[in-house]
Amino acid sequence: MPRWGMVIDLDRCTGCQACSIACRTENNVPACGDRNAWKGRAIFWNKVVAVRMDGHGETAHGPHGAAAAHSRPRFRFLPMPCMHCERPPCTMVCPVRATTKNVEGIVMQVPSRCIGCRLCQAACPYSRRYFNWQEVSFPGDLGQALNPDVALRTLGVIEKCTFCIHRFQKVREQARAEDREIREGEYVTACVQACPARARTFGDLDNPSHAVAKLAQSPRAFRLLHELGTGPQVVYLHEGSWQDDSGLPVRDLLSKEKEDHG
Amino acid sequence: MADRDAFTYFRPLIHTSWGSLALLALSAAGAAWYFFGAFYLQFFHGHQLTGQGTHGAMWGSMVANIVQLIGVSHVGIAISATVRILKLRRYQQLARVAELVTLVSLTAAVCNIAGDVGRPDRFLTNVIKNGNYTGPFVWSASVITNYLVGSCVYLYLAMRRDIYLCSCVLPRRRWLYRILSLGYTDTPEERENHERTVWWCAVIILPIMVSVHSVYGWVFGLNSGRPGWFNPFQAPYFVLGAIVTGFSGVIVITALVRRVYKWEEFFPNRMFKGLGIFLGFVTLLYLYFLFSEVLTGVYTAPEAERGVLHDLLFGRFATIAWAATVGGMVVPFFILFVQGANPRICSMRVVVAAALPIFIAMWCWRYLITVPSFFHSHVPYRLAEYAPTLFDWSLVVATYSFGVFFYLSLVKLLPVLEIPEKFKPACPARPPRITLGERRRWGALKRVSIGATLATGAGLIAAGIASRHRVEIPAPAIWISGIVCLWTIPLQACLLPGFPSAGRVRAHMARMEPGLLRAPRPAATAVGLTECAASPATIEYWIDEQFGASRGIRRRPEIRGIG
Repeated sequence: MPRWGMVIDLDRCTGCQACSIACRTENNVPACGDRNAWKGRAIFWNKVVAVRMDGHGETAHGPHGAAAAHSRPRFRFLPMPCMHCERPPCTMVCPVRATTKNVEGIVMQVPSRCIGCRLCQAACPYSRRYFNWQEVSFPGDLGQALNPDVALRTLGVIEKCTFCIHRFQKVREQARAEDREIREGEYVTACVQACPARARTFGDLDNPSHAVAKLAQSPRAFRLLHELGTGPQVVYLHEGSWQDDSGLPVRDLLSKEKEDHG
Repeated sequence: MADRDAFTYFRPLIHTSWGSLALLALSAAGAAWYFFGAFYLQFFHGHQLTGQGTHGAMWGSMVANIVQLIGVSHVGIAISATVRILKLRRYQQLARVAELVTLVSLTAAVCNIAGDVGRPDRFLTNVIKNGNYTGPFVWSASVITNYLVGSCVYLYLAMRRDIYLCSCVLPRRRWLYRILSLGYTDTPEERENHERTVWWCAVIILPIMVSVHSVYGWVFGLNSGRPGWFNPFQAPYFVLGAIVTGFSGVIVITALVRRVYKWEEFFPNRMFKGLGIFLGFVTLLYLYFLFSEVLTGVYTAPEAERGVLHDLLFGRFATIAWAATVGGMVVPFFILFVQGANPRICSMRVVVAAALPIFIAMWCWRYLITVPSFFHSHVPYRLAEYAPTLFDWSLVVATYSFGVFFYLSLVKLLPVLEIPEKFKPACPARPPRITLGERRRWGALKRVSIGATLATGAGLIAAGIASRHRVEIPAPAIWISGIVCLWTIPLQACLLPGFPSAGRVRAHMARMEPGLLRAPRPAATAVGLTECAASPATIEYWIDEQFGASRGIRRRPEIRGIG
């Protein structure tokens, strides 16, 4: 059985957010409006976090504001899909089995079963789960461009990245019909497909012939917050193990940055 | 006069002042707003009405309120059970007041949970049907059901005699109390049986009570990804917090009940002094726990953990934290210490003046446990500030309004004080005519029934636990049914006629005690209580003396002409 995973090369990422847009379009992620966005209610199954590495404040929205304030800002972009952890805390705490880890290693969400208690949100150390705080809306022409393969979620439930499971289902049926294994590159997520810098690679982490399995063994590879023991199936690549000139590991940098921002 | 003494116990059931009616109407309006806001508005317009957000505080004031109410519910039954087990006569009348507090606050907490989840329409059905045994929420549903059902059974059995006595003194509502008392006839055997059963219920309920709040500690404490929450200390910390919250809440409510119904003789200042001493002790213990947590958090803790504590002590939450700790714990502790140490101070007001700020401070600390962690996420998102909106605050106030409405309704419906055994009905209800042979058959049936219930309940719990991994089986529904099934055992023990032991039969026959073998008196039609079967005084006289028409108190029609 494959164990789907992703490798994201941070040295290649330009922070263009094409992955975020592709994800929103592919998965019918609703808009929330300005007011709700300021309240932290915007939904991004795939979010590109801009991390300022010189310890002078944060710009999760992008570097422009802080760049004006500081002369030589240094940013790194951290694209964040769901980590599809090997030992996901969210599935442990979900009281209604609305989120489960399937046999292919994908952490699934069943919105029609979710009661909206937000325990999974609280349990996820990566904050990769989103609650529908407001009615689902697709302003303008967005409503005309919905993906028929993905069901809309209702008010009051949690939603999250599913590694574009609907694509996997199509590919799996095709492979079954032709009585063969799923080939490498046949099933890829929308964010992988859209990345212009080819920073993302997707495939079976257990299949040594897949590029993703080789990259995950790279000396440049690291897993975010691996010390928590969740075992993320999204692996990041970065030269020097994501260390700044200060020599601090990423988590300390992130904390320091967050604290400065206040 | 005997009846005058006796009717003091039923005062809220006999009189309803205009002030009470106004308070009932006001609190009913508040309760209606709660259900409209929490269930209608949030269901159709979403939780965007609150101040919460995904990248911000995803839990807020409502969760703080839930933890607070669960804490209050803790202590009601705890006080009652402790009073019963340790036979603390001075606090005997406090037990019922506290039990009703448990019932009300637990119901309000469950309403808050249902209102806080995004889909209340699926809340109960999905948790029971699709429950995931590893989820603390399912543990919570199990222990809360256990506690709620257990509390109701305990409350009912402890109150059954008083309900029966109500049927003797309140003819208008006699039908209701007759139904509620379920055939109770106040024979010595029944009394003894109830006392024994209720004692065992008290013994069983105490550990259950600890489990309820421990589970709430684990809801927070098991999340390794949340700095400030992930802590093995959370469960005992929450249990202690619940004791502090609950005691302060019960003190305030008892003071209000005493003031409104003029029950100084049942809730004397000495009782409040004792409660104050205990509250002071647990408050000091809570401060010690708090200090221990803060020291661990600031000493060599990981960065994120230190961030939360820094935020609490010197950052954006410092004002609330210091105000709650100093104004709501340290100062009240000294007040309670002085009133406890100084034998000349024996005042309810002093204790209430300390308990009220402690109650508010505990709410603040619930808030401070819940919210700050969200601002110290491991990943540096841009986080939205959180402040409860007007809607949030209105729901918090409306919850307490619902509590007042529910409590007042219970006080107007059920006897709040335990009627001492010296009071007996002037014309008691006739016990059912059962021969000794029939009684033996009933006794055998009772034993079989209790045994079968025990086996069924235990079997259901075991079956539920065994099938916890199977998605197609509603395991929580099975084990919760088992728990409810087990709680019918005390009811059966008291409601079904027992199998008298040979010694008891001999003793009863020797004393020719009525009630065991034959009916002693004709069917009861009269009302009124009497002390040791003395002749009853006229109640009308007593009513006029106690509550004159000049004070604007309505007299219920049913008590006219009784004497």
